[in-house]
Amino acid sequence: MNRPVNQIILIALLAGYTLLSLSPILWAALISIKQPIDAFMPTLSLDFEPTLEFHWQVWTEQGFVTYLRNSVIVAVSTVLISLSFGTMAAYQLTRMSAAGSRPLLLGILGMRMFPHILLALPFFVIAQTLDMIDSFPALILSMVAINQPFTIWLMRSFFADVPKEIYEAAAIDGCNAWQTFYRVALPIVKPGLWVAALFSLLLAYNEFLFALVLSGPNTRTLPVGISEYGAEDITYWSLSAAAAIGITLPIVIFMVLLQRHLVRGLSMGAVKG
Amino acid sequence: MAEVEIRNVRKAYGAVKVIHGVTFDIADGEFVILVGPSGCGKSTLLRMIAGLENISGGQIAIGKKVVNAVPPKNRDIAMVFQNYALYPHMTVAENMGFSLVMKGVQKAEIARRVADAAGILDLDALLARYPRELSGGQRQRVAMGRAIVRDPQVFLFDEPLSNLDAKLRVQMRTEIKALHQRLGTTTVYVTHDQVEAMTMADRIVVMHKGVVEQIGTPLELYDRPVNQFVAGFIGSPAMNLLSGGIGEGGFVSDKGLKLPVTVQGHGDKGRPVAYGIRPEHIRMSDDGLPVRVSLVEPTGSETQVMVEADSGETISCVFRDRFSATPGSTIRIAPHPNLVHLFDGETGARIS
Ligand SMILES: Nc1ncnc2c1ncn2[C@@H]1O[C@H](COP(=O)(O)OP(=O)(O)O)[C@@H](O)[C@H]1O
Ligand SMILES: [Mg+2]
Repeated sequence: MNRPVNQIILIALLAGYTLLSLSPILWAALISIKQPIDAFMPTLSLDFEPTLEFHWQVWTEQGFVTYLRNSVIVAVSTVLISLSFGTMAAYQLTRMSAAGSRPLLLGILGMRMFPHILLALPFFVIAQTLDMIDSFPALILSMVAINQPFTIWLMRSFFADVPKEIYEAAAIDGCNAWQTFYRVALPIVKPGLWVAALFSLLLAYNEFLFALVLSGPNTRTLPVGISEYGAEDITYWSLSAAAAIGITLPIVIFMVLLQRHLVRGLSMGAVKG
Repeated sequence: MAEVEIRNVRKAYGAVKVIHGVTFDIADGEFVILVGPSGCGKSTLLRMIAGLENISGGQIAIGKKVVNAVPPKNRDIAMVFQNYALYPHMTVAENMGFSLVMKGVQKAEIARRVADAAGILDLDALLARYPRELSGGQRQRVAMGRAIVRDPQVFLFDEPLSNLDAKLRVQMRTEIKALHQRLGTTTVYVTHDQVEAMTMADRIVVMHKGVVEQIGTPLELYDRPVNQFVAGFIGSPAMNLLSGGIGEGGFVSDKGLKLPVTVQGHGDKGRPVAYGIRPEHIRMSDDGLPVRVSLVEPTGSETQVMVEADSGETISCVFRDRFSATPGSTIRIAPHPNLVHLFDGETGARIS
């Protein structure tokens, strides 16, 4: 077997797959800079007069910035809450006996088994009873609730890679339970923390169903906001595409800024020690 | 520095008993090695001294103070783990100084003590590195440095050299021993390697299946093993042990090999016993037992030879003299009569 040849094939396949995955986004990007007349063309024509008109419209006239602000409030709060609680829970779940942690872990996982639509109704009833529709706390807590199982399970896998002797060394070196967590365990799983933060952020930022049910004029997030863009309007496609690109932009910037941490976190489990 | 007293200490994990009442003392400044086959409970005992495991029964005292209920950090001990357990997110200097930081020692004082320990262990050039940037041997040193910086009452080592290659292991043995002579700190050291135990220890505690089989200096264990287990465990290559009984004029093995015995008080004819002779206590002798050579392994300084008696017993011998016989040839051997060990066939206890 010739390894370079294998690798070339592999790289070609991966490149093709990447392109395939990106194609909807590329298409949307194209549509967002086309006039409706070009956008409705059934072929992927490159013969058109590009315009930034719809991007301009999205960012200045359509309430996009307000939605973005709401989305950032919701997403960042969700990450802060679910990550801090999730990390502590995950840590403790790896420190206790397997017999004790297994039922808890499965119970937490059980939360994820319900389709979100099943939870949306009770969440709505609860929020309404507490008069919390169109309030950030209700929105944030619902996102934390659906996010938490994931952060706990993900962080648990990072903590599980820490040899128990490290904790024992910490105990001998004079750490109490909190110091062992905060000064020893947490810094070790820091790369994982970035990964968990990113995924929680994406989940909360892109969440549509709960946001639709629980938000209102004051708290409308981006996915809900842009879904309401001029459905009957002829400019609907171009506007929606521009908004879709707009909604992606902050995430792309976030990823680019943090990519060093993320790559380390994503590959951390692979190389122990 | 302090003495350690271990009084009838027991350990059970649920219903599984792993340590069945162990008692011994470690003198102030002594280097004691717990040795025994894997799974015999050495680490468990060491971890109870450290406070990392609860003590199910009995008492452990460090420096006259019973520590059963004292958490690890207040026992004034330092431990070196088999996998070193260095904090991966801290530099070498931070690893070494961490316990002092936790104690609230002044920064300048920490730096001074870390530098001292680094000097002793030749780590000065590595202080700013992270553990992942170190070789196995260097990590091992850092783990020791972390222990030294604390200046504890007792050092605890759990198989600290078993992740190193053979050459480094031999070198580190000497270094740890030298370090102990320099610092004089009471040390409890766990290993499954009896050579490590023999070369490093002031005193050895031989453990087997959760009990102490024998405690003594390396040479005491070598010269007078109290039972068949210790006899077989201590010494390399291992002692030849033949099972059989007392017969006419000496020992007769199960397969009928007759060997003279000068040990007194071995009791009546017919008593089942085991006959032990170390490979290095067998000589070539013109009027000895004729045996067939089956394997010859020269190491240069000596030659290890496996021979087979006519009755079928395999016996290992070590000769210091140049050895010319080849496999298949016949030689005559004689056990040194005063260096024969006899053990009771049922209890395994020494007969003397
Ligand atoms: N946490 C535990 N739970 C149950 N059994 C254990 C536990 N730790 C150790 N053991 C058992 O105790 C015995 C002694 O273990 P250990 O002290 O690690 O042996 P050694 O260090 O001499 O190889 C072994 O049989 C092991 O299986
Ligand atoms: Mg062990």
